Amino acid sequence: MSTIILPGDDIHVFEDRQISLGPGMYCNPATEEIEAVNAGVEVISETKKGQAVYVDYDCKRYVPSVGDLVIGIIVGQYSDNYKVSLSNFSSSVSLSYMAFPNATKKNKPTLKVGDLVYARVRFAEKELESEIECVDSTTGQDGGFGLLDGGMLAEIKLAYARSLMFDEKFPLLPLLAKFVQFEVAIGINGIIWIKCEEVKHTLACYRSILECQKVPTSSYKAIVKENFGKIVNTVEDDNQ
Amino acid sequence: MAKDIQISASESKFILEALRQNYRLDGRSFDQFRNVDISFGKEYGDVTVVMGGTKVQCRISSSITHPYEDRPFEGLFLISTESSPMAGPQFENGNNTGDEEVLCARIIEKAVRRSGALDIEGLCIVAGSKCWAIRADVHFLDCDGGFIDASCIAVMTALLHYKKPDITVLGDRITVHPVDEREPVSLGILHIPICVTFSFFNPQDTEENIKGDSNAEIAIIDATLREELLRDGTLTVTLNKNREVVQVSKAGGLPMDALSLMENCHKAYTIAEKTTDQILEELKKDEKKRNKYAEILSSENNRES
Amino acid sequence: MSRLEIYSPEGLRLDGRRWNELRRFECSINTHAHAADGSSYLEQGNNKIITLVKGPQEPSNKSQVDTAKALLRVTVNLTKFSKSERSKSSHKNERRVLEMQTALVRTFNRNLMLHIYPRTLIDIEIHVLQQDGGIMGSLINGITLALIDAGIAMYDYISGVSVGLYDETPLLDTNTLEENAMSTVTLGVVGKSEKLSLLLVEDKIPLDRLESVLAIGIAGSHRIRDLMDKELRRRAEKRVASALAR
Repeated sequence: MSTIILPGDDIHVFEDRQISLGPGMYCNPATEEIEAVNAGVEVISETKKGQAVYVDYDCKRYVPSVGDLVIGIIVGQYSDNYKVSLSNFSSSVSLSYMAFPNATKKNKPTLKVGDLVYARVRFAEKELESEIECVDSTTGQDGGFGLLDGGMLAEIKLAYARSLMFDEKFPLLPLLAKFVQFEVAIGINGIIWIKCEEVKHTLACYRSILECQKVPTSSYKAIVKENFGKIVNTVEDDNQ
Repeated sequence: MAKDIQISASESKFILEALRQNYRLDGRSFDQFRNVDISFGKEYGDVTVVMGGTKVQCRISSSITHPYEDRPFEGLFLISTESSPMAGPQFENGNNTGDEEVLCARIIEKAVRRSGALDIEGLCIVAGSKCWAIRADVHFLDCDGGFIDASCIAVMTALLHYKKPDITVLGDRITVHPVDEREPVSLGILHIPICVTFSFFNPQDTEENIKGDSNAEIAIIDATLREELLRDGTLTVTLNKNREVVQVSKAGGLPMDALSLMENCHKAYTIAEKTTDQILEELKKDEKKRNKYAEILSSENNRES
Repeated sequence: MSRLEIYSPEGLRLDGRRWNELRRFECSINTHAHAADGSSYLEQGNNKIITLVKGPQEPSNKSQVDTAKALLRVTVNLTKFSKSERSKSSHKNERRVLEMQTALVRTFNRNLMLHIYPRTLIDIEIHVLQQDGGIMGSLINGITLALIDAGIAMYDYISGVSVGLYDETPLLDTNTLEENAMSTVTLGVVGKSEKLSLLLVEDKIPLDRLESVLAIGIAGSHRIRDLMDKELRRRAEKRVASALAR
């Protein structure tokens, strides 16, 4: 069941069971009442101990939290770490030279300012600078992170990015795959990176991703088809 | 202008590669101006112009004041273009000394004020002692590139739309008639300048641009914010419908061949022509909407002959 | 309105020039050898301009450092006594001056090889001792000379000149009287090419006349480039000669 919930609303759970609170929920310490603090869809799920409840809300500004997979732009290079920007006009995060696979004091990564990296948030405290890593720190292995070479990126809303990432039934990427082969990386910080063999296909994917953000899933098919149709047509026009 | 928007190397490479293959991000062709949407507020002289993601509002106001001592026969006309964080986080509050801000303000000033688009001699009431002061306040509400073009359209439309209260002069006494008492009067507009901005991109290296003869530089009209951040040079041409170039500003940037610059000026003319027609059309529509009772109130009637 | 005859039927201008003649153009470099790394003094008609180039040097402000290329800064000082009537304001931070500075920075940004001087600042200081029309073009010429004197790598000369349009006749290298009476175009031309780095039109000009104005402007700029080139070569030969004599 999905209910729209607004800040200040009471939540719809059984009071007598143990409840874990997720994002968008707040327990008033004085009254011990649980209230929503963000506007969005209320999600209640069963866990081993009891119930978990959180608000699935949309916003534009990303706040780092541990474990998130993100895409960042390298904006600075220092003696032992990079400065990485996860979203414009937010404070940057740091990416240590040691947070790469097979990194040693002498074996330094070769990223440059302006490069894109796919990484995971390792440390996020609101008082301190957040840290990201390009290595799966649980295994110490290469976890598919690192430099994203070429391609194009699009800035999208956070909820849309989460849908693309976690919702297996979300139809956009399979639709695009019907038209063209592509590489894709999705950052929870609202950045999606896409790369095809040819510029025009990347461009069609880019436009489709941005346009689909504003419409219901049912009209995705038409939009993707239109964008690919346009690209093919313009090429034919040039040849004539 | 936009200092803190980070653009990755991949993105800039991609946009340039797409331009080389004749594509723009938003699907427009190189010489395509964005659709201009003009809407009017309730009062006279309140105009909002929307071009894609760019939104600019202009409001005209008037007051009676002393003319400058050295110009007793002229009224005062001031255009204020101050950017604020309202348009986007890249704009600082109260800091209008950035390169882009100064250029933008200067170009609008030259295009509208210096070119004599407004008849300032017509603003004189009593020579040397009283005149109208017209003020145009431009507000940037949303930013997706092309501020100069949009502001110029907004200021000109607002000036054409504005009506100042009627006055009667009897010796030294001036009576200002409220708008509901007597029909207000329009300002004297002598011509309608329209700005068109070109952005230049260099698909090769700098050496080829300066020494080579290939002239392969790419020129696009009405760049969006992303294109503006990546461009190598810009040219703003201001023209009116009488085939007069009012102002040209190519303040440095990528060196361009003189002939291709001329070509751009001619392209700009067709756009200026189209935009002028659109402005006049919209004004006519608005006028009709405001005067829907004019026919009933008028003493004229259809006579059968 | 004007009582002056800007262009007589015989084809003479106020100061006796023909339509396609430049004003007297004299320049010298290395005029302030101790004050700056590169300097020039330029007289173009009655325009008298001192240009000082300092750099590439370490920026005083750490936040200005660009790790990829040198930073260019231009400061224009229009002195109070530069016009026949002494001006009250110092013209500093006037929008017109700020615009001139930005335009000059952008003109030379593309033409200098700034990428070979990373983390540095190149500071250009211009003092206008006397002005008599077409100031923007003269500033460009002065900067070009001073930069060459400072030994900063550049792709080519940039030479500037202004052209007026009187009725249907373009008049090359306008002075103040002419500038006030008609509309003028300022050009900045790269070397011997037809590429324009700077193009400013500030008053009304018929679209169909613009081309002829640009043509004479480019020709005039090439002539100025040659004059600057001649002076630079003369200086260089003199230096070589004195070096050989030692």
